[in-house]
Amino acid sequence: MSQLHLTDEILMAFADGELEEPTAAAVAKAMAEDPTVAKRIMDFQQSRRLTRSAFSMALMPDVPPELQAAVLAQVASYEADGDSKAGSDIKPPQDAWIRRKRPFMQMALAASLAAIALALGYFVGWQAEPGTGGLIAQLESPLVHHELNSSASGKDVELPFGRMRVISTYRLANGSLCREFQLRSSTEAAEAVACRNSHWNATFALASPISDAGYTPSGGGDPMAAYLQSIGAGQPLVDEAEAKALAEAGR
Amino acid sequence: MPAGIGQELVALLPRLRRFALVLCRSQPLADDLVQGACERALANAGSWTPGTKFDAWMFRILRNYWIDHLRRMRTEGMMEDISMQTQLVGDAGEGPILSRLVLSEVQRAIDSLPQEQREVLVLVCAEDLSYREAAEILDVPIGTVMSRLARARRRLMEMTAAA
Repeated sequence: MSQLHLTDEILMAFADGELEEPTAAAVAKAMAEDPTVAKRIMDFQQSRRLTRSAFSMALMPDVPPELQAAVLAQVASYEADGDSKAGSDIKPPQDAWIRRKRPFMQMALAASLAAIALALGYFVGWQAEPGTGGLIAQLESPLVHHELNSSASGKDVELPFGRMRVISTYRLANGSLCREFQLRSSTEAAEAVACRNSHWNATFALASPISDAGYTPSGGGDPMAAYLQSIGAGQPLVDEAEAKALAEAGR
Repeated sequence: MPAGIGQELVALLPRLRRFALVLCRSQPLADDLVQGACERALANAGSWTPGTKFDAWMFRILRNYWIDHLRRMRTEGMMEDISMQTQLVGDAGEGPILSRLVLSEVQRAIDSLPQEQREVLVLVCAEDLSYREAAEILDVPIGTVMSRLARARRRLMEMTAAA
């Protein structure tokens, strides 16, 4: 196969789900083989998340009443006018515009990248900074495993390295039990998923430093939600269903 | 006449206004742009093809209106120095909402990008338009969209990592 030159544009298009086959497959292969390629792709994903957060709907200023009123008046006069004025100097969109992105592919990609990030010891977070692996290093701690066996969702537990809280519990189609949980120290917060076969294995993790402003990038591109969807987590088990599942798993 | 274009237009106002702010960075000017673009869209409603993306069509009208505005200002010799109008953050009357933007290093970083990078970044990463849609709106080849977008995002990561 000819050498693929991995420009920023190609890696970005891959991160955005805009790359056609077979180039996408070649990039996926390169990503799996080369951590620096994976890191560059993750940076492009991160920049998208950051931009989306900065422009999130929650931060969108209200439309001033005067503008709203002016446009409503235009619309009313246009609709009263009835006859549309045919012909214009504005080009209609091309058919090609209809091509939509594939949201599922995007989410699956986000999830697989995050899984690779975990394997490589990278974090997808506010800053992708290798080598500050405080909480991530604790994911396989026996203390964490113990709480995963016993803690009900929603309860905080103090551990030597920080506070742990199980968020929710899921039963996958293949029968395995998975739990989403958070670890929080004074400087760092991590969200993770662990699934149990004979013992607990972390399958997904995101960690980020806690910023002074308490600002958390979030929104449509939530990798945790994408990951849970990609493994077919479905609805969480609650109350008795959760307690029963934990009791069975502990046996 | 396409039914419901008026309703779609009103529903789109917050996003139109946001894009106008990205273009001109002045609150009063952004509102004028949105109003002018809406007027132009209604006058040309027949050129919108139902079934195609209304938001992309409107963004294009808005941006063309902005370019016409710039051209007019230039010929009338009263071009404002728009680079001085950085009112996106902290404009009077928008305090409670925009002060939250101040929290965001990201917002500041985006604001410091050149306009050609800012607009493509917002269309693709905030408005979720495809590269092709962004290329149509900006009237540039898709390769230009990609190089500007990659540059903007690389810069954004550099700036937020350094912050």
